[in-house]
Amino acid sequence: MLLGVLAVVLYKRLLYREFPCFFAYVLYEIAKFIPLFALYSVQGVTGKQYAYAYCVTLLLSIVLRFGVIDEVCKDLFRESQFLKVATRRSLQCVTGLLLGVGVLLAVYAPGGNSARWYAGIFVVNRGAAMVQSGLLLVLLLFSRFLGLSWRRPAFGIALGLGVLTSVDLAYSALRAEFASEVGAELLDLLVTSTYLVCVSI
Amino acid sequence: MEQGTSILGQALISQAPIAAWTLVAVAFIALGILVYVAIRSRTRRGDLEGTVQAFRSLDIEAFRNLVDSAEEAFLRDNLPPKKFREIKRRRAWAALLYAWEAGRAATALAKVGQAAQRSLDPEIAASGVQVTENAFRLRLQSVRVSLRLLTEILLPDLRSRSLPPLVDQYERAAETLFRLGRFSSSRLLKN
Repeated sequence: MLLGVLAVVLYKRLLYREFPCFFAYVLYEIAKFIPLFALYSVQGVTGKQYAYAYCVTLLLSIVLRFGVIDEVCKDLFRESQFLKVATRRSLQCVTGLLLGVGVLLAVYAPGGNSARWYAGIFVVNRGAAMVQSGLLLVLLLFSRFLGLSWRRPAFGIALGLGVLTSVDLAYSALRAEFASEVGAELLDLLVTSTYLVCVSI
Repeated sequence: MEQGTSILGQALISQAPIAAWTLVAVAFIALGILVYVAIRSRTRRGDLEGTVQAFRSLDIEAFRNLVDSAEEAFLRDNLPPKKFREIKRRRAWAALLYAWEAGRAATALAKVGQAAQRSLDPEIAASGVQVTENAFRLRLQSVRVSLRLLTEILLPDLRSRSLPPLVDQYERAAETLFRLGRFSSSRLLKN
């Protein structure tokens, strides 16, 4: 519902022109709920089939989030040609470093969840969340350090996505490790609440 | 051999939850920093008067003397090595404080420049673009200089190459700031 409202606001304020990837991400998040909910409700669908579908939608979500971060980054440096050039290499280094840490973690801490391949999804999500929240954190710190001023929509997107990916990182780390049903439900509830807060931002 | 492998295996298994909890801690620290930076970023504003004051208060000539390579060569030739290292560390430390202050002034300058860019007066807006670009250059220059000075503090015997031209950049930035100050009053910049 909230995502629907957000999509309408983006459309009415013509923000989809400036942030097409974010607009696509919002629409995608709304759209992916329908098949996933249908698979969850249909009797014949096994847990494994649902998990496969969840995995595919999650991977697309991760890709779109990277697109959104790129958009936020371009918006932040829009007014300075010098910064566009000067920061490109720094951001590439940060991304490479975070990716390296994510891969190392995936190799050396692959998760203790008994369902190995299911844990694998959370390990991938954990790595992606780490890179994304790290990038957004660096962007915010960098802008503060340089005295860059944010435009309101980009600031909201960066903050919302930053909070979401940070909580996602904690969630994926715990889900990759523990398989307890009660714990999983609590974690799902926590992530859903965070999602609502982030959409409101 | 087998016993060793099993001990290693047990150690890795017991480390896995530690990795998970470490990541949770990292995530929450990141969350805290995000929220803190976000709140602080929204409350700060550019202040022309304060920035002009900050630029005027920095004794850039003193900084120039501290990083002068001719003076360093003179000290190296005329002081015993131990005394030279001590003096060089002190000089580098003092220069680092100057570079730090120059960096802070650059951040304030960037805020003023960006506020000026939003002005309806085209002359002020154009001047704001120049101020902002110079401020960003100065900020990054101050980081490079600070890193070099830190190296000098840690390794005083190292023969230092000439520092990046922070002083020139500082003077360019100050010049654009004073030009902007002549164009506009701080009242206009608040818009």
